[in-house]
Amino acid sequence: MLNATTGKSSQTSPVSAMRRARAADIGRYTLVIVLLAIIVVTAIGNPRFLSISNVLNILFQVTTLGIVSFGQTLLLVAAGLDLSVGAMLSVAGLVSALVIIATQSLILGILAGILTGALIGLVNGLLIATNRATPFIVTLGTMTFLQGVAIIISGGSPINGVDSLFNIFGVGGFFSIPTPIYVMVLTLIVGFFILRRSVLGRYAFAIGGNEEAARLSGVPVWRTKAALYTVNGAFVGIAAVVLTGILDSALPSMGTGYELQAIAAVVIGGTPLFGGRGTILGTLGGVLLLGLVNNSMNLLGIGANYQSAVLGVIITAAVLLQRKKG
Amino acid sequence: MTAVRPPSVSEDRSSPAETNYAIEARAITKSFLGSRALDAVDFHVAPGEVHALVGKNGAGKSTLVKILAGAHAPDSGEIRIAGQSFRSLDPLTSRAAGVAVVYQNAELHLELSVAANVLLGAEPRTRFGFVDERKIRRKAEEVLSHIGLKLPVDKRLGDLDAAERQQVAIAKAVREQARVLLLDEPTAALNKNQADFLFSLIRDLTARGLAIVYISHHLDEVLSISDRITVLRDGRKVQVTSRGEADKDKLISMIVGHEVGLARAKVAASTVGGTFLNLNSVSTPKKLKTVSLDIQKGEIIGLTGLIGSGCNDLAAVIAGVERADGHMTLEGTAYAPRSVDEAIRRGVIFIPEDMRTRGLVMPMSVAGNITLSWLRRVSDFSVLRLKREAGIAQEISDRLDLQPRGPQREVRFLSGGNQRKALLGRAIFADARLFVLEEPTQGVDVEAQGQIHEHLRILAAKDATIVFVSTDLEELLALSDRILVMRDGEIAHKLAPEGLTPETLLATIQA
Repeated sequence: MLNATTGKSSQTSPVSAMRRARAADIGRYTLVIVLLAIIVVTAIGNPRFLSISNVLNILFQVTTLGIVSFGQTLLLVAAGLDLSVGAMLSVAGLVSALVIIATQSLILGILAGILTGALIGLVNGLLIATNRATPFIVTLGTMTFLQGVAIIISGGSPINGVDSLFNIFGVGGFFSIPTPIYVMVLTLIVGFFILRRSVLGRYAFAIGGNEEAARLSGVPVWRTKAALYTVNGAFVGIAAVVLTGILDSALPSMGTGYELQAIAAVVIGGTPLFGGRGTILGTLGGVLLLGLVNNSMNLLGIGANYQSAVLGVIITAAVLLQRKKG
Repeated sequence: MTAVRPPSVSEDRSSPAETNYAIEARAITKSFLGSRALDAVDFHVAPGEVHALVGKNGAGKSTLVKILAGAHAPDSGEIRIAGQSFRSLDPLTSRAAGVAVVYQNAELHLELSVAANVLLGAEPRTRFGFVDERKIRRKAEEVLSHIGLKLPVDKRLGDLDAAERQQVAIAKAVREQARVLLLDEPTAALNKNQADFLFSLIRDLTARGLAIVYISHHLDEVLSISDRITVLRDGRKVQVTSRGEADKDKLISMIVGHEVGLARAKVAASTVGGTFLNLNSVSTPKKLKTVSLDIQKGEIIGLTGLIGSGCNDLAAVIAGVERADGHMTLEGTAYAPRSVDEAIRRGVIFIPEDMRTRGLVMPMSVAGNITLSWLRRVSDFSVLRLKREAGIAQEISDRLDLQPRGPQREVRFLSGGNQRKALLGRAIFADARLFVLEEPTQGVDVEAQGQIHEHLRILAAKDATIVFVSTDLEELLALSDRILVMRDGEIAHKLAPEGLTPETLLATIQA
């Protein structure tokens, strides 16, 4: 009973708050420091690490995760969350592959993949906007549902015959840079723009920072949530098309695990799970960290059995090193 | 924050009379951001006594209660609980020493049963270390019947009404063997019968030796239940009166004092331009009963009343926060906002009292908070024009003398007064024609209060209409063209401020 008063009355003085903000600035750089440390250690252990081909390789490997994570960032900023992105990615990839095979049209296939993601995202958003259940629970439900859908529409086996997509994303490129990297950079720019330069992004920050205040300020909370989850779905759709191209086939399990990796990348990048803050560039840092760690473990000859454990330690450590709740 | 135990040669042995108090505060002084909330206040309650604290908003009542409850540490002074001396308390120490607080929204667990709430934190265990449900029920029944309460112990607390929940909170305090019970506006959510029951419960508890600190704006209640009444004004103790020594009029004049009210300086005679907002038999299921009202263009309306009178409900209805039955017209056309967002599009903006939880987006910049209600003005085709936004935010900050400068600063770094200004800035930016404000200067220093009043007058002179809810008598008198006193969900009086004194206004509110 008494604790309630303390919570309400613990008004931080401006000075101490500013001091903490400065500490937070230092916290922001821990990610950069960790990244540099990994680079230095790995480069000493294996000089091939810093070769252009390896750098491009790392970027290539993180493209799908990057695109999914940028979408997830928009949600976390608004204190939202989408656990269904992995399953969504599988379904969107499968739909894209099936449409390409059925219509022999690459464009239609790509559009179908993106649209599938956007539609599923819209459904997620509408369900969450009812405020009847938390995003965690709603998307846990859609995740399970979509995993089933992926098995149903694929019959449980890979769908091959998407060479046109493979030619673009699997082996295609411009100026010796693989196409997926361009796509990732494009989504990075779009995500940055939405978050920092659009009314939608501003509303996302407002809802994440204080949903009640946002509502009383006239922010269309319901519509904003629906829009954010739709955009996230579209991002997942893009990632699905790219990954289907890279793999030269669509698999019912191709998205498994992406939800947690994406959330890890976003949180490592400095966006708190309770919303109100966050940057796309931070998320890019988080994505690169995960990619670098994977790559350097390979180059340092760390066995596959150990990699997951090491990755877990690094994710936890990186998050703990981030600033605390403000 | 640790307890300062009395040294072995303790002074309280030399004056044994002092140890008779259940709780005692000596020369408590506390300042917030440079303004003094309490100035050397003495206060004590004997076992078996009901001691009421009365005073205007900001007089220091809640600060004193929070210090006794351990939520605030005093700058200086001493607190004694049953003879034990403390420089300051924290909530746990205060509770362990036997001080229990029963708030309006008592912090109980709605999902748990009545029994589990009463025994919360002291659950009896079985031999195997599991919680012993049967014993919990039995003990809870014991405690409840001990203080004469008949509550269903198995019922989920959330299924009980406000009065019963409060009884559970009191039972819990009794079970914790509290010596002192702090009751903060305990009748706010109760009807007449429930309040009467509470009073008889209070008499029972005092007969058992419990000391009760009773905070209320309802002077009739205070006069009937208290053994003594301490009046606070501007952080100082004005007087302590015993039962029968004071009547309501005397109490009112002590509460109000004889200070000079804020200068009433209208910018210009408001240009009354016909009916702006009309309410016809507006009611809500929860509170309002048939409110009918005409508000003129450019008018400043002060809404006031005791807690639970319906002022905030009326403001919420006008601002589109809450839906109501009945009929409203705004500038001659039907007005039935289903959301705040719709009200804003009609030029009506709402500024809530509670800035932290309902008003501001704390991790957002001043500029972002100011423009939030009308982003269209700083965007083209949903693309934000950040330079335009920064410019306008700077201009509004300057106009409101918002300190420190720099609209990119996050609002959480501002002082309370400047946070209020940022909220007002949002309303000004949204170019509203009707401002609905709750307690527009609460927690603000005198200078900022003057500035905010000045701005509201300027807005009204420019034909904006203002409806504000306030419990600050001087503010109501200084700012309003008309004061509406509400009671039980209805408008009880419509007053012109001319010729009114704080005393007469308070008497009308209390009537």
